[in-house]
Amino acid sequence: MDRIVFQGVGKRYGRQWALRGVDVTFRQGEVVMIIGPNGSGKTTLIKCLLGLVRPTEGVITVEGTVIGNDPEYRRSIGFMPQISQFPPALSIGQLLEMMLDVRGLKAGETDDRLISALGLDQQLDKRLSALSGGTCQKVSAALALRSRPRLLVMDEPTAGLDPVSARTVLAHAEEVRAQGGTVLITSHLMEEVEALADRVAYLQDGELKFLLPIAEILQRTGAPRLAQAIPLLISGSV
Amino acid sequence: MGKVFKYTLVDLARNRFVLAYAFLLLLLSEGLFQIEGDPIKALLSLVQVVQALVPLIALIFTIVYIYDTQEFTQLLAVQPIGRSSILGGRMLALGVALVIAQVFGLGLPLLVHGRSIAAVLLFGSAAALALVFSALGTLIALKQRDKARGVGIGLAIWFLFVLVYDALLMWLMFAFSDRPIEPLVVPLAALNPIDLARIAVMLRLDMAAMMGYSGAVYKEFFGSTVGIGAALGIMAIWIIWPTWRCFRFFQRKDL
Repeated sequence: MDRIVFQGVGKRYGRQWALRGVDVTFRQGEVVMIIGPNGSGKTTLIKCLLGLVRPTEGVITVEGTVIGNDPEYRRSIGFMPQISQFPPALSIGQLLEMMLDVRGLKAGETDDRLISALGLDQQLDKRLSALSGGTCQKVSAALALRSRPRLLVMDEPTAGLDPVSARTVLAHAEEVRAQGGTVLITSHLMEEVEALADRVAYLQDGELKFLLPIAEILQRTGAPRLAQAIPLLISGSV
Repeated sequence: MGKVFKYTLVDLARNRFVLAYAFLLLLLSEGLFQIEGDPIKALLSLVQVVQALVPLIALIFTIVYIYDTQEFTQLLAVQPIGRSSILGGRMLALGVALVIAQVFGLGLPLLVHGRSIAAVLLFGSAAALALVFSALGTLIALKQRDKARGVGIGLAIWFLFVLVYDALLMWLMFAFSDRPIEPLVVPLAALNPIDLARIAVMLRLDMAAMMGYSGAVYKEFFGSTVGIGAALGIMAIWIIWPTWRCFRFFQRKDL
């Protein structure tokens, strides 16, 4: 079943098109990796979906609802941004409580396993201003996954995380897929993409060049690994 | 809006800048009351200090806070809450935090040393100025993507209201000193919230005589019920107008 549908979506900043003519469908129960060079439109695509940016043209539908001014569709979304910055004077515990409150959830309605898996339960009183970049990322991951999202969006989720924490976070993302959720991840790490993704979306100059299952990419190019297959596919030599 | 307000206020309550602002005001107010023997003289000095300092701190602190919490605003904006709730909660918390700092820094010394209607007016006008310039600061921070540029614009606006506007009015009065220019100067002065606040307190301190013929015109206008209503109305417009612009702009802003 289609969970997210982009129809002719484009976004222009001034005269520059950051995204143009994107028609794409993301299904439930799949992990899609969104890749592309810097400035290719990955973040703009995600921001359009999250309602942070209003598309200049086109329509985005999430679970049958055309996204507009009503923020209710975001109840099913968990988002882990690339850079996490929180109110410095709050503690981790206060932030978790705040986001619970903002989402209108009660204690017991959340999945707090990631909080303990990442060791955050031992640091609940710690001020957010005192956290390292990696711990901020852990908090961000916990916030994204805590509300049991049906749609999980992660922007470079493993950047700044130690390998063990990165694996833990990605394992929870896989769990979302296993429960029928949709996971969209942007990443530059091909090994990560290959290990987790069902399909790969490649963006360049704001245009979606392809959205293919990994197996098909490897089959078409004949390359053993995605890192070798993607350049072949982009160059058009296959 | 209430939830965003509550947690932003909790964050601001521990903000070092807000605490430093409260202590600076306390130091200045208490210092002036100690140095000047006469509470009226101390109030007069305090009017000048407060009505230059409050707009500056409110503008710059708001601009810097909005920029520094941009990523967190984004995180709030992907939650199932409307943008007006996010902005409303944040603006209200900023305004309330500044006013609470003023309660400690300015309100307490006024309560101890200078209990009078003029003191109440001074505190009230300082609170109104904090809200006006915090709203203007939010508008600047929302419209300008670059932090340094935003702070620069904030400083320019403060300079305009505190110094340039008065200099222009003075020039107008000198240039047309042979004509009855005062009836024009009164509404012009009232358009500047800082001047409006200053005039209100000065008149209550019976300093109209020191302001010459303009003082008499001010007293005649602002001493009347219509004048007081107009002054309150103008101050309210100075709070509502930038706030309304902020809401309109934030609704369609790309975050």
